[in-house]
Amino acid sequence: MGEIVFKNIGKSFGDVKVIENLNLTIRDGEFTVLVGASGCGKTTLLRMIAGIGSATSGELFIDGEEISDVPPGKRGIAMVFQNYAIYPTMTVRGNIEYGLKNARVPKAERDRLIREVAETVGLTPYLTRKPSELSGGQRQRVALARAMVKKPKIFLLDEPLSNLDAKLRVAMRTELIELHHRLKTTFVYVTHDQTEAMSMADTIILMESGEIRQQGSPEEIYENPDNVFTARFIGAPPMNVYRMRGRQEFVGYRPESILLSREETRMLYQREARILTREMLGSEIHYKLVLKQDGEEPITIMGKSSQKQFEVDETVYVNVDREHLYFFDGQENRIRDEAGLKECCAMIQGGL
Amino acid sequence: MSNPNMIRKAGQMTGRAAGIALKLFLALIFIFPFYWMISTSFKTYAESEQFPPSLYPHTWTLEGYQTVFEGLELGMYLRNSLIVIVAIIILQMAVSVPAAYAYAVYEFKGAGILFAMVLVAFMIPSQVTFIATYIMFSKMKLLKTFWPQILPFGANAFGIFMMRQHFKQIPAELIESARLDQAGEFNIMIHIMLPTAKSTVVTTCLLSFISHWNAYFWPLVMTNSEEVRPLTIAISKLKDLDLGVVWPTIMAGNALLVVPMLLLFLAASRKIIQSMAYRGMK
Amino acid sequence: MKENTKRKLFPYLLILPSALFLLVFTMYPCIYLVRLSFYEYNLLKPPKWIGWKNYVDLFTRNVDFVVALKNTAIYTAAIVTILILFGLILAVCLQRESRINSFVQRAMFIPHIVGMLSVAMIFQWMFNEKGLFNAVLAIFRLPGLKWLNSSDTALICIIIVAVWKSIGYYALILLSSLKAIPAEINEAALLDDAGPVNRFFHIFMPMLSPQIFFLLVTITINSFKVFESVRQMTKGGPGNSTNVLVYYIYNYAFNYNKYGYAAAAGVVLLLIMIVMTILYFKAMGKRVHYQ
Repeated sequence: MGEIVFKNIGKSFGDVKVIENLNLTIRDGEFTVLVGASGCGKTTLLRMIAGIGSATSGELFIDGEEISDVPPGKRGIAMVFQNYAIYPTMTVRGNIEYGLKNARVPKAERDRLIREVAETVGLTPYLTRKPSELSGGQRQRVALARAMVKKPKIFLLDEPLSNLDAKLRVAMRTELIELHHRLKTTFVYVTHDQTEAMSMADTIILMESGEIRQQGSPEEIYENPDNVFTARFIGAPPMNVYRMRGRQEFVGYRPESILLSREETRMLYQREARILTREMLGSEIHYKLVLKQDGEEPITIMGKSSQKQFEVDETVYVNVDREHLYFFDGQENRIRDEAGLKECCAMIQGGL
Repeated sequence: MSNPNMIRKAGQMTGRAAGIALKLFLALIFIFPFYWMISTSFKTYAESEQFPPSLYPHTWTLEGYQTVFEGLELGMYLRNSLIVIVAIIILQMAVSVPAAYAYAVYEFKGAGILFAMVLVAFMIPSQVTFIATYIMFSKMKLLKTFWPQILPFGANAFGIFMMRQHFKQIPAELIESARLDQAGEFNIMIHIMLPTAKSTVVTTCLLSFISHWNAYFWPLVMTNSEEVRPLTIAISKLKDLDLGVVWPTIMAGNALLVVPMLLLFLAASRKIIQSMAYRGMK
Repeated sequence: MKENTKRKLFPYLLILPSALFLLVFTMYPCIYLVRLSFYEYNLLKPPKWIGWKNYVDLFTRNVDFVVALKNTAIYTAAIVTILILFGLILAVCLQRESRINSFVQRAMFIPHIVGMLSVAMIFQWMFNEKGLFNAVLAIFRLPGLKWLNSSDTALICIIIVAVWKSIGYYALILLSSLKAIPAEINEAALLDDAGPVNRFFHIFMPMLSPQIFFLLVTITINSFKVFESVRQMTKGGPGNSTNVLVYYIYNYAFNYNKYGYAAAAGVVLLLIMIVMTILYFKAMGKRVHYQ
């Protein structure tokens, strides 16, 4: 088990309120990713679960039990830190063993567990080494092994991959997913990288300035953003969202939903645009375009397409289907009701 | 707020209050002797001889200070102290800055060995060298001059070390681009690099000032004439004035020595602590 | 070509003055000290070569040298133990950033920037039989002590003064090494369910140990230099109870005019310093910090 419930949680550092009245449930056994820009409060939440930065107000439950007064070491959790926080004076073995020793696990049992976990993460040959003799990737594994060996009901991971080089990061991503499949315990993973969130999460929790903007599966978050923030955060490149001319409402569409054409089409959204740049990425091409609108500030959008025939400076039509258009109201929330959508479609057709 | 919560909070509060009280007491241990010095310096002789002593002067008097001013030629000793300190600082800068610069910027044969010599010199205290140095100056008949107090401090090993660290941090491109602009090496050192070291230079001077203002051992050994002795030596002799041991007078004299340091500390405690702690770490 | 040689010579020109000063005022006096230790010399008559006699006298004829050496060793051992132990405790207690802690840190540091002469005189006054310390004892209805005037307590008084003067300084150095340990290490240990004592001995102490060894050597070096407090407060007495190495050297040179003999004692100090310096650089090498 490992369900985490935040109830009316607040946190301030001195006079600065970082989180106010936050409610959140992290489901048992899921790989949950807290994602957001730095300073959004995601790490603060993680540290609350760990018990190393308690909430200023509200209650925190693990499996139905209020744990504000439970010390970090007794919560049944393990954490992997961004800088790994490996004990530099202990060997790899000592690092893994320390938590077990404190939990008074008998020697024979400890040896067995260490052997097991070292085998799993591939550290067996390095058990007697000091951390200073290890590479970045190996240190990461020590941190992971140290967490795993305690068999916690919750794993907390604070940007664990951000100090690795790009190639290793992608490899570790798959390993972590596999690990989660094998252990089937609750993983709470903090990152600022939406690609990491999308590729690893069962549930994504998207945060901004201490508030939850949207919670859902990667598919939901991608296909069904609740608000402009989510729309602009997820996707590479993210959704094109801009205010319709002279209106409060926003229109949005993903770069991968556009169709470029030299002639007019019959799609709902159709704008003339000039190609600013063209980035060839192999299987696809990224186009940066500026919409032709008179009088107003130019709107640039991104397009992602397998159509290769267009050149820089060429004027083309940008076309998007009705079903790929998203609308948001003046408060940046998604418009979902029929009447509202109809009105917005009319505006689009009117060329706003 | 539930009840146990409040009890816990109350417990925490008393714990914290006790901690703060303990810490204030700790601070008092380090501050009180200075208060005691000042307080005694304003007491009358009679009051200072009372037991138990009064916590503050019941009759305030400047007698102590008067005796110090009348019994000692304070002006002369203060002048001597300042002459020695200023001369040392100027000499140290003239000698140490170029050396530090050379060790930081240039690669030259023997640099390693020569710098190791600097470090070793840093470790050999004046308590080892004083006899030989004394005999040296005595043979040169310089004990009645300021030189024995100044010259031995010409090369400030720690200053060289600290300024070298500073110069090493400055990117080599700065020097290279100056060379491309046809600047001479000496010119580069004085006009390009030295201005960047302002704060390090000031710190080094500050530390030199403090340590030579307080110097007692070296001038005690190295001077043969009142004409060149610094304030510390004069104050140390307050006990030997004709009147016997008069604590208000002695404390008044020490107050004159200590208060400038306390003021300096009040003005720049952060800088002083940082640089001195750094000195202890290297 | 000429420009090139000029450029090559320039760095030597820059270090020349400092090298000269170090040579004349540090290196040469050391060599001269060693030479002098084999002579009998009183500044008036020309020096007379007497071989190892000064050293023989030091260790066999005059018992006072061994006493001074012993006093210095006791003083050093006490200072090192107290400063490191209490320095560590203070560092741990004052670790958290708060106004009161930073105030206490500053207060503790003040004695370090005040001259030993004044500190010694202030304490001499407080150690006086009618002084502050006896007044405090009287409050608790305890009999007054003779402090500096008793050979039983005089050395302890010298130690108290030295500790008071420098504990803040060393505590602050330890504090800054403690603060250099990333907070996450502590948090990781918390998550490993390690209590405060466990954390201190298994996590922090091992991480601080290179710094502690370094301070051990530094404090030892500084302790062997003790002079000013002794000269001001006790002049080595009562009896020989506070006679320490440097005061001994000073006394034989400047009060008895036995420069050769004093130099021999000085060479002993020099040797101790050399051993300590070697340890010092070893400690410095080991202090290369973990990431």
